[in-house]
Amino acid sequence: MTLPDTISGLLGIDGVVGTVIGAFLGAALIGTIMLANAALAGPWAKRKITAAFTDRIAINKLGPLGLGHILPDAVRLLSKELIVPEGVDRPAWDIAPIIMVFSALLGFAVIPMGSGIHLADPSVGLIFAFAVASIASVSLVMAGYSSNNKYSFLGGLRAVAQNLAYEIPLILTGLSVVLFAGSLQMSEIVAAQQETLALGPIGIPAWFGLVNPFAFVLFLVANVAEVGRNPFDIPEAPTEIVAGFQTEYSSVYFVLLYLGEFVHIFLGGALIATIFLGGPAAPIAALSVVPGFIWFLIKIWGVFLFTQWLRSALPRVRIDQLIEIGWKGMLVLSIANLFLTAVIVGVLPS
Amino acid sequence: MSDWIAIGALAVVAVVIPLSMMFISWLIRPSVPEQGKRATYESGEVPTGSSRQVKFNIQYYMVALLFVIFDIETAFIVPWTVIFDGAVEEVGFAQAFAPMAVFIGLLVVGLAWAWRNGAVEWVRSARAERQRVE
Repeated sequence: MTLPDTISGLLGIDGVVGTVIGAFLGAALIGTIMLANAALAGPWAKRKITAAFTDRIAINKLGPLGLGHILPDAVRLLSKELIVPEGVDRPAWDIAPIIMVFSALLGFAVIPMGSGIHLADPSVGLIFAFAVASIASVSLVMAGYSSNNKYSFLGGLRAVAQNLAYEIPLILTGLSVVLFAGSLQMSEIVAAQQETLALGPIGIPAWFGLVNPFAFVLFLVANVAEVGRNPFDIPEAPTEIVAGFQTEYSSVYFVLLYLGEFVHIFLGGALIATIFLGGPAAPIAALSVVPGFIWFLIKIWGVFLFTQWLRSALPRVRIDQLIEIGWKGMLVLSIANLFLTAVIVGVLPS
Repeated sequence: MSDWIAIGALAVVAVVIPLSMMFISWLIRPSVPEQGKRATYESGEVPTGSSRQVKFNIQYYMVALLFVIFDIETAFIVPWTVIFDGAVEEVGFAQAFAPMAVFIGLLVVGLAWAWRNGAVEWVRSARAERQRVE
């Protein structure tokens, strides 16, 4: 039962009208959840985590743990003057930030978040999520080209090269999970991970990340590159090309690009949680009393924490290293992983 | 069908959210035009030349060409992964696995060829290296 059906059932409206109203209310709920997560992550968690890694304090004046800084920060960012640089390609320059947010938010349509929060469950769910997440590349090109700035242009090019290089490993590794699950539908993929594997005396959940840790590591790396985080943050690379594709963006456009990036990190985390970490399932049966939605949040915030950890711990790779890691390393490994998984699924009795 | 209505609804919401943020910002932000404020940012220097005529590395084209091939390959692999488990039960492992192994094997040979010819090696231009100021 998906979220729109639940809502229209609660409201007691039947038929197409009920479906449409339920769909919009459900979509608004998903949008609100992800905006709340991004609001917590961007102005607050990122600073706090980086500060903890580098032994500093960060924001702490307003509210408990400095949480009160989120609201004034949002107002401050939105009330900045919008500076439109000379020679920008106007419609493209304005549309790029919208596409960025659009692509990241739309991916959550097919993610099962547990506790019945699952907006849609089409039979092509996984491919839909990959396809929608890739639209972000278009916005990076638009932002890079239309800004009429050399740094932006180079940043846009780098972003495309990076997304192209890591898209194939990402999808091939995701598909190795489909070999196990036998379906692209998100609910089926989650359901396929609900069994318990017996490892001698202890039982571990049959999450694909534990069944096939090789694929899990490949997917984690490809995902970090796909969302453009350290050590693969060369599209922005502050020490080389100022801020890459977002150099000329200010005010609300900057907020939208920033927001889109954070929602994109969470989308990557949600994909990892869904196809490798059992979706909203609890790790052991005894903890099932905690609602699935809480487990889902813990998992996506775990991935966010991981990206921030990488940010503090690893230096940035160079553009030539990035191309070589992607095409020579990740692609070959992901093809090997696909073959290996197919042999395991085909030969071992299930 | 109701799945795609829900996805369409989220698509609308995902456009309305950025648009409403732009509207709120438009209501509360100042506009103080000053001379030079709109100049292209080039680390404080006066901008030189057009940014759309920057010469950049040929590599960006080569990896894009490679990507087209492998992206189509991926599109063919998707349906195979979905039916693989059932096909193994129906026609046996060898018949389900071998055709795709040949298909991907051909592409791997192609990748090896591209690799040998330096398509995934970062191109260094001798002229650009000479011009570099350390």
